[in-house]
Amino acid sequence: MECRVLSIQSHVVRGYVGNKSATFPLQVLGFEVDSINSVQFSNHTGYDHWKGQVLTAEELKVLYEGIKLNKVNRYDYILTGYSRDTSFLEMVVDIIKELKKANSSLVYVCDPVMGDQGAMYVPENLLPIYKNKVVPLAEILTPNQFEAELLTGRKICTEDDAIKVMDLLHDMGPETVVLTSTDLPSKHGDQFLVALGSQRIRKPDGTITCQKICMDIPKVDAAFVGTGDLFAAMLLAWTYHHPKDLKTACEKTVSAIHHVLKRTITYANEVAGPGNKPSPAQLELRMIQSKADIENPSIVIEAKVL
Amino acid sequence: MECRVLSIQSHVVRGYVGNKSASFPLQVLGFEVDSINSVQFSNHTGYSHWKGQVLTADELHVLYEGIKLNNVHHYDYVLTGYTRDTSFLEMVVDIVQELKRANPNLVYVCDPVLGDHGSMYVPQNLYPVYKNKVVPVADIITPNQFEAELLTGKNISTEKDAVEVMDLLHAMGPDTVVITSSDLPPRLGDRFLVSLGSQRHVRPDGSRTTERVRIEVPKVDAVFVGTGDLFAAMLLAWTHHYPNDLKTACEKTFSVMHHVIQRTISYAHELAGPGRRPSPPQLELRMVQSKADIEDPAIVTEATLIS
Repeated sequence: MECRVLSIQSHVVRGYVGNKSATFPLQVLGFEVDSINSVQFSNHTGYDHWKGQVLTAEELKVLYEGIKLNKVNRYDYILTGYSRDTSFLEMVVDIIKELKKANSSLVYVCDPVMGDQGAMYVPENLLPIYKNKVVPLAEILTPNQFEAELLTGRKICTEDDAIKVMDLLHDMGPETVVLTSTDLPSKHGDQFLVALGSQRIRKPDGTITCQKICMDIPKVDAAFVGTGDLFAAMLLAWTYHHPKDLKTACEKTVSAIHHVLKRTITYANEVAGPGNKPSPAQLELRMIQSKADIENPSIVIEAKVL
Repeated sequence: MECRVLSIQSHVVRGYVGNKSASFPLQVLGFEVDSINSVQFSNHTGYSHWKGQVLTADELHVLYEGIKLNNVHHYDYVLTGYTRDTSFLEMVVDIVQELKRANPNLVYVCDPVLGDHGSMYVPQNLYPVYKNKVVPVADIITPNQFEAELLTGKNISTEKDAVEVMDLLHAMGPDTVVITSSDLPPRLGDRFLVSLGSQRHVRPDGSRTTERVRIEVPKVDAVFVGTGDLFAAMLLAWTHHYPNDLKTACEKTFSVMHHVIQRTISYAHELAGPGRRPSPPQLELRMVQSKADIEDPAIVTEATLIS
């Protein structure tokens, strides 16, 4: 397998978010991962303290120039996630456009990180850039419900709304859209959350078909950080292996994450001790320990084709 | 296995040197790797072009402060390699000393990168810092012959010289020394090169013993970058599993190197085409593809015990 990914995300010295969350799993699955670290922080910002440095848009450009000068700017995938800076995001867009000129089959996997549970947690001025410049370039998009609503200007109250929103997102660019979490009620009860996916495929005869799926995912009672980054990376991997089968790609992705989270919460509770709430440090994803589940995830959550 | 390594090395966007070379192999072997990137470059400096940014000693200090403020500055190992800056190196020493206070069992694995084949390729003023400050706090060092000679002021022409040099290095601090490559004449012929190792143990009865080994490794006709970084990382891993058996630790480490290098050179020649010399991008280590060899290296190089 010869597949090269350029991942432009955060680096933390300790823990698993951004590139730390995405790189190891992709590497164990055999992908070559080139990584540009958009920041270097001691740890993620959910700890009591965090310290470090950020990369400017200029510095990002300089790094890309180095790659280009050596004529090794040929990638099969690009992966981006959490960003706080409009000029940085605009530079990312420029780079992607150039990389698509170098390889027209390039797939851009984009997690349009803007907020959750009804509130934005990035600067507001990122929204127009995501909407007008980033999403139109993306092939695979992994918004949560809030981000999907923000990008389309349409609220999601029913499964029907979700389907309409995913179709609107398709119209903006990406052929593959996964709503990673929603507030929609699950048939399995309130211990589950509902995720949905949609993939537009152009058949050999030129007609367009659309596969839509729905998943009921067991909730885990803790605040994890880095799971969205892991999700986007694993969706990249499993859509690579199952390019026309979103059902299987999502089952493997969601199942892999489930195994990682179960292992993590078990360990965190053990380390915290009975009756204690685990700390952010204790809740870091048990990534290394989950290698086997990442390599070959047993399917524990099934997707339903709508 | 619950073992946490702090690795302070370079990061390259593309390729396998520094932290890119050390992290993945340690992670597949089950080590938690915290990594501080001393630089971020597009690629290693053997390519026609390279661009990027360096971390200052102050910025390194700030990152460490973040770890400390959260009270998570507990490491089982520290791993360092190529550095070009004296103030950065001195900050690394301060950090290692503090981490050793937090965990007296911490093992510092140090590749004292100074040069090779008779000449230095870092600024000369790093030499006294390594000699007087870094090596004394190291527990495992992986110098090549040139670096071992530089640090001890003694030349190596025979195996006996090498043993004396390793003893001198022990006296400076580290209990484990591996001279990763030398010009000593191999018994297996000129397609091989000689490496040596030495490890001091304290027996349960308090007496000291030294285990010394000699390994002959096949030469490969190409210039690889990042192999020293991979070596130090794998020696960390295999001495962790074989803390009192340098012979086995070295056999596993040198065998992993061999598998990765063989896979790399085969692929590079394929890419370059017949009769063509592979380029630096083509010679990047086939790290990801060597996962199985890293996890469980078949032993292809044997170490012999020497006195």
